[in-house]
Amino acid sequence: MTSQLTAVLCRSSFDHQMAPKYNIQNHLQLFLFYIELVCIVCVLQLLHMSVFSQSFSPCGRYLAAGNNYGEIALFSLSAALSPDATVQSQKPVLTFTAHEGPVFTLISSDCHLLSAGNGEISAWSWTELIKKVTVSLNTQQPGKQHDLIIPEINAMIINPRDNSLVVGGGDNNVHILDLEHGVFKSVLQGHSDYIHCVSVREREADILSGSEDGAVRIWDSRMDQSVHCIEVYKYESCARPQYGKWISCVTTDSDWMLCGGGPSLSLWHLRSLSPTSIFPLTGCQRQAAFHQDMILAVGDGPFVSHCLLGGEVKAQIPCTPQSLNTLQLNTNSTEHRVLTAGGSSDHIEVFTNLSYRAFSLSF
Amino acid sequence: ANRVPRRHIDDSAQTGSAGVVSYPTITNWLGISLHPNTWMFVNVLSFPLTHPQASAKHALAGKTGKHLLNAFNQIPGNETEKKTTLDQALRGVLGDQIQKTSCDDYLSLIYLSIDAVTEGICSATTPFVLLGDVLDCLPLDQCDKIFSFVEENVSTWKSNSFYTAGKNYLLRMCNDLLRRLSKSQNTVFCGRIQLFLARLFPLSEKSGLNLQSQFNLDNITVFNKNEQESTLGQKHTEEKEDGMEVEEGEMGEDDAPSNFTFSSIPIDYNLYRKFWTLQDYFRNPVQCYEKFSWMTFLKYSDETLAVFKSYKLDDMQASKRKLEELRASGGEHVYFAKFLTSEKLMDLQLSDSNFRRHILLQYLILFQYLKGQVKFKSSSCVLNDDQTVWIEETTKLVYQLLREIPPDGDKFATMVEHILNTEDNWNGWKNEGCPSFVKERTVDDKPKRPTRKRQAPEDFLGKGPDRKIFMGNDELTRLWNLNQDNMEACKSDSREFMPSLDEFFAEAIEQADPANMVEDEYKVVRNPNYGWRALRLLSRRSPHFFQPTNQKFKSLADYLDSMVSKLAKELPDIPSEEIKTGEEDDDDNGDNLLKDSNDSDKMVTNNQMDEIAAKLGAEWKALASHLEMKAAELREIETDSEDVDMQAKLLLVAWQDREGAQATVDSLVNALNAAGFSQIADSLNENNSRR
Repeated sequence: MTSQLTAVLCRSSFDHQMAPKYNIQNHLQLFLFYIELVCIVCVLQLLHMSVFSQSFSPCGRYLAAGNNYGEIALFSLSAALSPDATVQSQKPVLTFTAHEGPVFTLISSDCHLLSAGNGEISAWSWTELIKKVTVSLNTQQPGKQHDLIIPEINAMIINPRDNSLVVGGGDNNVHILDLEHGVFKSVLQGHSDYIHCVSVREREADILSGSEDGAVRIWDSRMDQSVHCIEVYKYESCARPQYGKWISCVTTDSDWMLCGGGPSLSLWHLRSLSPTSIFPLTGCQRQAAFHQDMILAVGDGPFVSHCLLGGEVKAQIPCTPQSLNTLQLNTNSTEHRVLTAGGSSDHIEVFTNLSYRAFSLSF
Repeated sequence: ANRVPRRHIDDSAQTGSAGVVSYPTITNWLGISLHPNTWMFVNVLSFPLTHPQASAKHALAGKTGKHLLNAFNQIPGNETEKKTTLDQALRGVLGDQIQKTSCDDYLSLIYLSIDAVTEGICSATTPFVLLGDVLDCLPLDQCDKIFSFVEENVSTWKSNSFYTAGKNYLLRMCNDLLRRLSKSQNTVFCGRIQLFLARLFPLSEKSGLNLQSQFNLDNITVFNKNEQESTLGQKHTEEKEDGMEVEEGEMGEDDAPSNFTFSSIPIDYNLYRKFWTLQDYFRNPVQCYEKFSWMTFLKYSDETLAVFKSYKLDDMQASKRKLEELRASGGEHVYFAKFLTSEKLMDLQLSDSNFRRHILLQYLILFQYLKGQVKFKSSSCVLNDDQTVWIEETTKLVYQLLREIPPDGDKFATMVEHILNTEDNWNGWKNEGCPSFVKERTVDDKPKRPTRKRQAPEDFLGKGPDRKIFMGNDELTRLWNLNQDNMEACKSDSREFMPSLDEFFAEAIEQADPANMVEDEYKVVRNPNYGWRALRLLSRRSPHFFQPTNQKFKSLADYLDSMVSKLAKELPDIPSEEIKTGEEDDDDNGDNLLKDSNDSDKMVTNNQMDEIAAKLGAEWKALASHLEMKAAELREIETDSEDVDMQAKLLLVAWQDREGAQATVDSLVNALNAAGFSQIADSLNENNSRR
């Protein structure tokens, strides 16, 4: 937004030089016109905003959210949840531009916020962010083969076993970044199209990735090779050819895996590598999460779906955005244990109780 | 017992201080006091006071009323005075005993007073006064015992001798008790009192009825409105300091230490406030008619219901065993007089099906009030169209939500619907001014005979005052029962069908008039049907029918013709009609010929005949040949009368009889001229034209 604003202002000075005869009144008119223009731009930007990623701070009191304009907004949950909350407390405490392109993924380590967009990963210190200081600590560019093609980064996850960052993106490969040394340890190659999502099986040291090519690959992080490849679209019960074969979300819980996208959201037993339940949700699911004995999923449609493990949809909780991209449950602080969901809107929906939308945070 | 009731003060005035009575007049000493407060006088007189009181004590000790009866008989004075004395004595005994002995003693004293009332030796109000005194003086836990005694004796209080005297005392007593009890702490006792009142008073009793449909505006639900109070610990201490008058929603149930810690779960304060603000609308629905508060209500309700709609409740079937355990321990029907409004509970409350049912039911009740016709609603309280539409929609939504609430939601919703419908009827009953439920028996309602399987004969054979006879068919029955007595029916005027002569012959007379120029064959007299009826009528009505006549008639029609001409002469209205037409002709000057012919058509009147007869005298025989009289007739005339004038007259009458309508003045004049009596003919002509 800032860049556009400066562009507009530059143009104004240019116009001014071209027409030096203008008197002071004309200046004023021109100025008012620019103000108007800026407002329109702002409104348009809000209308076309979509939230791609979010992450809670390690203390659990803050929520960072990234949008398609490369901005990251920091919301104070403690202010928004306080009894004397006003409209102002639902606005971000800090907004800064992190990347040129959209912020596709955000993740918090013990003290850093990692953000990734087109080609680069940036790290921000939470303590600094809370003090409203934005300094990019480190920038990494995985998979950069030549200058012309900058592959975007779609997914990141921290593998706590060896304190590494698993990164998946546009170059069809999964990169593993060693957070201790800041160097890329290895590259997992095997997908034939770009990667949508990555997940880590903590006990088994397995890495899962879902890709546009319709496959979920399970990698052994020690051997750096693909152990299994599940082509979900080939299972008749999951396949939905009308939506395509791509896999947009993968998540695991011990022996169970949840994946969805073009094919229906389905629960898989990883030992037998077979689907156990298929969830009859319409549209493509963008993110899914296990929560207690339930599955929460978001995707096309203005609602958060609650599914039972058996395959029934228990409830669909209405939200304001027409489709949702991201879903996060704040487990870092019981006091602020909320579910947040963002999507094709500048609003981030907050659920204090999973069963109804309490309020919205907005950019 | 934290209050000293007023009545008790009165009592204390009685004990000891004799200074209350300032005028011990001589009448008092004589025991003929007319003072209404007789107890004062009793107090002054030492003898009548001590004696019954002592005997009352004896009676109490022996638990019999015999001592009382004896004492009663010994007291001087009239019946009322004696009763009052005894009443006072009983109260005195109670006053002495109060605070000293146990409940049982009070109760036995009250039993004693009841017996005394049935004996008729003390006034019927005494047991109630005693009860009131006891309850006023005792602490609540003992009141409980006394009240169970009151409950046991409902039948006694309802009996004739006690009900009218005691109902007001009992009501006052119960209300006093209710005022002393806490609405949230002593719910059971309060409920017992209400139940007792319901049993005591008949259904039609209106004293317990909220006739004006007022709301319990004191029922304020308190919740945290501002942030200072929101941290639970602070609020708790503040509340203790406040000591507010209103019944508080029990907040902050936990012990103090945990209150000072922050709540451990996120709380949606936004919803919390909106949700509990709604309670104020349920408390006082009239607010909904104000525009601004309605908008608030609308907004908050929409949000709350949206939460309910999105937040589906789990079916509790998984924990069925737990539910059974609850039921076994009697914990299922947990009832709170007030809502718990702690913000920490909000989340739990939202997932509580019973709580949700409460709130949704509140909505339905509110809507019923807003939509319904309530007599005491002011005229400004009318919903506009938008409001009505919203209420309709929301009612549907609420019912749908009720159905969705897991354990037996459908059943619950149906039940609620039914109850609210019943409520509507009660509302209607109140709007009609609470008519009595006992229908007045109509006065002429006869005792019903036991119904039989088949009808007895007397049921259909003319029983009762109208002696109706059932013919087995409605129409037959109606015809048969037009009149019970057939003879009477036949005699009745409506059975008289015979027409009068002039009525029947009017047409024939008109046609017989040659002026009307009706040809013979078209005359009604030619109609055999008419002829026959005419004959019958003549036989019944006309003397001419039996007059001997010599004329031989060839046919019925000829006979009728002559009859008609005779009748025409007799009936008054026909000639008058003729005259009338003549007059009309007079007016018409251009038709003299018709007029002459009309004149010449005139019949010979009796007067004319008398005149002619007088002029003819003995020469009547000369005329007779010109009148075509037969010799036999002439002989008959001669034998009939010796007087020549009379004979002349008879001749003319016979001629007239024979000629009928043709016996006109003209023909007579012609005959006279032919016979040579031109003078008479002229005079007749003159005479005629003069008329």
